Amino acid sequence: MPTIFDSSTSTPAPAKSKKTAKLSASLLSKGKNHMGPLTFFAVNPDGVRFETQEEEEKVILFLRQHIIVNFPWVVVAVVAVFAPTVLFPLLLRLIPPSVVVPSGYIVVGALFWYVATFGFVLGNFLSWFFNIYIVTNQRLVDIDFQYLLYKNFAEAELVKIQDISFTSGGVFAALFNYGTVNIQTAGEAPNFEFNSVPYPERVVETIRSLIGQAGSNP
Amino acid sequence: MIPPIFPEAIALIVKLLFLLGLVIYAVFAAVIVRQEHLMADVLEEGFEPILRIFTYIHLALAIFMIFLGFILL
Repeated sequence: MPTIFDSSTSTPAPAKSKKTAKLSASLLSKGKNHMGPLTFFAVNPDGVRFETQEEEEKVILFLRQHIIVNFPWVVVAVVAVFAPTVLFPLLLRLIPPSVVVPSGYIVVGALFWYVATFGFVLGNFLSWFFNIYIVTNQRLVDIDFQYLLYKNFAEAELVKIQDISFTSGGVFAALFNYGTVNIQTAGEAPNFEFNSVPYPERVVETIRSLIGQAGSNP
Repeated sequence: MIPPIFPEAIALIVKLLFLLGLVIYAVFAAVIVRQEHLMADVLEEGFEPILRIFTYIHLALAIFMIFLGFILL
């Protein structure tokens, strides 16, 4: 009777490409990288720990959205800082001369404007700062804080990852080399999107090499 | 002659709305402080204590604005 299925030959060991093997070796041999407040891409970051991280778990890749995504709100903040000197006199000119605005309102209004601008900058910076993507030697972690009020913590084990791809589009993305990494996972685990992360091709290569390692060392 | 009660009433409403806005803003500042604490529990990082100081400064300024509003308005 002919052999239809032979388990000894159906599961060959995953063959690593030279590039992937080289990357794996370089990731393991690399020393710790210092983390600054504006770091958005770090391999083997120093001093980073996250909730639910296990003792033997090692952070390989630490990602935030590319810093250039902050450009729009930074522009708004700069305009807001200079607005009172331009905008307030214009608004006061619109008020009929018969109406006298008490100086207390002008003082409190102007000061409040600057405090609110500070709050706007702080809120946007915190949203960017704490929206992080972490790749460890065991899993992927996606931590999102939306509008400072909603927290979303998602994770997927490396062995459950089925497919990785990235997309990069737009003038800014092409200029500053960032894109969205899409990760499909098996089962009921949610699919991941690493939005606007820098060097998406390096992120994909790194995750792929770690999957290879995780597959060879279950 | 129109009695000056109407402009005074408007002034009072504007003042109350101003103060209400300042109080709501202070609550928002307190929420930012609380959220920063929650975020810091999720991620331990070197720059986080400095961010915490900034959130407290922001809250202090928001509370100061309420007092300033009570005094000047």
